[in-house]
Amino acid sequence: MREELSPVIGLEIHVQLATGTKIFCGCSTDYIGAVPNVNVCPVCLGLPGALPSLNARAVELGTLAGLALGCRIRLRSRFHRKNYFYPDLPKGYQISQYDEPLAEEGFIDVADEKGGTRRIRILRLHLEEDAGKLVHGAGDGRLEGASCSLVDCNRAGVPLAEIVSAPDLTSPAMSREYVLALRRLVRHLGVGDGDMEAGSLRVDANISLKGPGESGGERVEIKNLNSLRALERSLEYEISRQRDLISRGGTVARETRHWNEVTERTLGTRSKEEAQDYRYFPDPDLPPLVITEGFVEACRRRLPELPDARRRRFVEGLGLSEEEAAVLVEERGVAAYFDAAVAAGAPPRRASAWVRTEVLRVLREERRAVGAFPVLPDTLAALLQRVESGELSTTVARECFHALRTEEISLDEALRRFGGGKPSSEELEALGRRTLEENVDVVEEILGGRDPKGKKIKYLEGLMMRALRGQETPEAVRRTLEELIFKK
Amino acid sequence: MELWEYSAWRLAEFVAQGQLSVSEVVEAHLTHMQWQEGTYHALITPMVEAARDRARALDTALAGGADISPLCGVPVVIKDNICVQGSPTTCGSRMLERWVAPYNATAVDHLLGAGAVVVGKGNMDEFAMGSSTENSFFGPTKNPRDPNRVPGGSSGGSAAAVAAGYAPLALGSDTGGSIRQPAAFCGVHGLKPTYGMVSRHGLVAYASSFDQIGPLARDVGDLAVALEVLGRADDRDPTCSSRPRTTYLNAIQTYSLKGRRIGMVREFAGSAVDPELHAAMVHAARICQDAGATLVDVSLRDTIAYGLAAYYILAPAEASSNLSRFDGVRFGFCREAEVLQEQYRRTRGEGLGPEVKRRILTGTYVLSSGYYDAYYATAQKVRRRVAEEFDVAFQSADVVLLPTSPRLPFYFGEVGDPMAMYLMDIFTVPANLAGLPALSLATGSGRDGLPLSVQLVGRPWGEFDLLGVASILEKAFGAPQPIQGTGGKYS
Repeated sequence: MREELSPVIGLEIHVQLATGTKIFCGCSTDYIGAVPNVNVCPVCLGLPGALPSLNARAVELGTLAGLALGCRIRLRSRFHRKNYFYPDLPKGYQISQYDEPLAEEGFIDVADEKGGTRRIRILRLHLEEDAGKLVHGAGDGRLEGASCSLVDCNRAGVPLAEIVSAPDLTSPAMSREYVLALRRLVRHLGVGDGDMEAGSLRVDANISLKGPGESGGERVEIKNLNSLRALERSLEYEISRQRDLISRGGTVARETRHWNEVTERTLGTRSKEEAQDYRYFPDPDLPPLVITEGFVEACRRRLPELPDARRRRFVEGLGLSEEEAAVLVEERGVAAYFDAAVAAGAPPRRASAWVRTEVLRVLREERRAVGAFPVLPDTLAALLQRVESGELSTTVARECFHALRTEEISLDEALRRFGGGKPSSEELEALGRRTLEENVDVVEEILGGRDPKGKKIKYLEGLMMRALRGQETPEAVRRTLEELIFKK
Repeated sequence: MELWEYSAWRLAEFVAQGQLSVSEVVEAHLTHMQWQEGTYHALITPMVEAARDRARALDTALAGGADISPLCGVPVVIKDNICVQGSPTTCGSRMLERWVAPYNATAVDHLLGAGAVVVGKGNMDEFAMGSSTENSFFGPTKNPRDPNRVPGGSSGGSAAAVAAGYAPLALGSDTGGSIRQPAAFCGVHGLKPTYGMVSRHGLVAYASSFDQIGPLARDVGDLAVALEVLGRADDRDPTCSSRPRTTYLNAIQTYSLKGRRIGMVREFAGSAVDPELHAAMVHAARICQDAGATLVDVSLRDTIAYGLAAYYILAPAEASSNLSRFDGVRFGFCREAEVLQEQYRRTRGEGLGPEVKRRILTGTYVLSSGYYDAYYATAQKVRRRVAEEFDVAFQSADVVLLPTSPRLPFYFGEVGDPMAMYLMDIFTVPANLAGLPALSLATGSGRDGLPLSVQLVGRPWGEFDLLGVASILEKAFGAPQPIQGTGGKYS
């Protein structure tokens, strides 16, 4: 009955910052696959008497991300304590920025359904520490039926930037695009790896429905979203659940619901009469974080070209299609590889095709980073120049590329092997004579002046190039032919 | 004169000049300590064997030509909320009864680096909450000046240890008077430095924005040396200042009161202060005047009126959060249960004492949404107001004179009402609220031989003036002596 109800969605995204050490101590942040409780010290274990000291690198990465999102950076921000008891929270409080975050009021442009872009406002970006992890002692690692629970503090104190969007998202698909855009940005900046499966990018969604002209109903927070699919599916589920509820005359309660991957439903957590009171107050162990205008400017100067700007440049400056450009900018390293190849003289369209197919395919298959790709951008450029000039056929070029990649040989060596190498002048002359002998009629027409547009000599040149498999330049072939025809 | 009667700097001098070995100094103190401890219970953990080992190691190092100063061979007692690696650090609580610190507090590192020898961990009110050391899980400490009376608190064990001659020097911590008030009760000197002077790294937090480690001693010079050793920048405590520090010991020898102004607090006249303590303050003022100082009238109206209330909002607020880590999960006392909430309830219910619970509840309440502005935010305003009032006072005065305590040491159980106990802190909390340095000076004894005292409060980083004025007053009043012993049991 209220079909005109439309979703209002805002996302809170936690990005793990790529600092190397934790936000308030010197322990390593590398917890994936580590033996439990090895990267710990009195500070991140919350031992009596331990005090936090802020990691400058986390501030730097947070500032970079804030600037890239067009935020206003606060020169004075503050850390609060968020108090609650849970076994994975060593101190009994989480240190987090609260009413004075590092960055405020930014935006990010997101592709919408109609092929345009939509500007999504960013309310804030703040720094905080991660909690540890509970490992449940049941056979299947789940809470139910567990005989005991163990705490692993390796992740406790890993720096996070929480990025909160305004409720500007209007569909699950747009929400997905927003996460993709943010992830792209995070990776481009190098502030985090943005890996949702590994938990280094975590999404919580707030969703409510509103009719035209309404301010909107109570919002529901969805947690436990470990993939883009989960985000989209849970939002779709929640939209229909809330629509049904309202159409039956019910009201949506403000609550937190968990997404269940298996049943594909959201499930309300224990209904609480009141919201949990976190008793936020300024952390007396940490003086206000004061940064200078100069620090912010230094960060601004270090900002790399952002994905949007790069995509525009690829389209407008290099003549790529929107789709091609989008694929290339998805990963900063790939875009940089492409840029380097073009800078080394590779024809852009051809380079784009090769990077998207030959390079990306291999990277995906072998699950390696572009930085470790064995064929350097300038080698690729040299190869593609030869293809562009007709000197090499695409087939030969592919063979060369394969050898360059798998055997790590030099370009010259690859060319020698697959093209038989550059012919000597004697070989070239011999081939020329043979070609002329086999095409006496054409030669006579040329000598008889019946080739005003040079088409016939071009034909002979083509024959020779084919025979040479692109191992010699067209100019050299033409010169040989001319000498043999006219100077004999 | 027995070795345990000497000041710290004097003992260090004997050792430096080769007149005494560290082992001789330490052994004399350990023996005396073991004779007294059965009577006073100043320590939670005596560290006799560790002290002997350390003394031998220092003697070996000295024999090898090592240059260790300025506290080489000086026995010290460390309050039991300050971490000493490998030793229990209980905070006077059942919660940490068996917790052994895996690291040294920065202050302890500095003392050890200067050659000090830790002889024990001092008894205290649980988590430094109290003014009598009656709140220790391990039982109260007795006042060496009168064993029927409390030693003050919360650093009662440290103060009693210095008064009883276990050591010439002890570390305490002061959140609302916890160094100064027990020093006053036990007839020794105690200094709470400017907030940010001494690293809090390794001090188990009670109220982080108030807590400060400081020395207790029987000699103003010892406070000066200790401050030189302790007062260093530390990047493990972001609230510890990186401001360059000065030296004190030599400078205060030549301190002159000529041209200095001593602030006498106007609103103080009507307060309920023991007449003898009031007289001690007037006496101290006269000594300063005779030595060339001018007495000036200063106002601390709002500080006296509202400071204590603000303190008992803000300190519990911070405490309620600081003590959340005692949940039985990673360390300390734990009562396991099937359900998590039940485990928390039992662990904290049985592991923490009543005063600690009272302050956690108070703090939790004042931080609750809906009450935050009325309590916490308002108290923060009072805190700023206190700092402003002191700012104004220090425009006309170099040092402000106050009593340390409104009362002389009381009997065990005499002050049962928590509010009455909180009132003991009325003259000490202002310095903590404003982050100022303050020194309680022993000024002899009054009726029944009970110790008298005055408190000097200085500008931020004004320790030089405090120590200078104190050294002149000490010459007039005489330095306090350790008690000669009760002939108690050897423990």
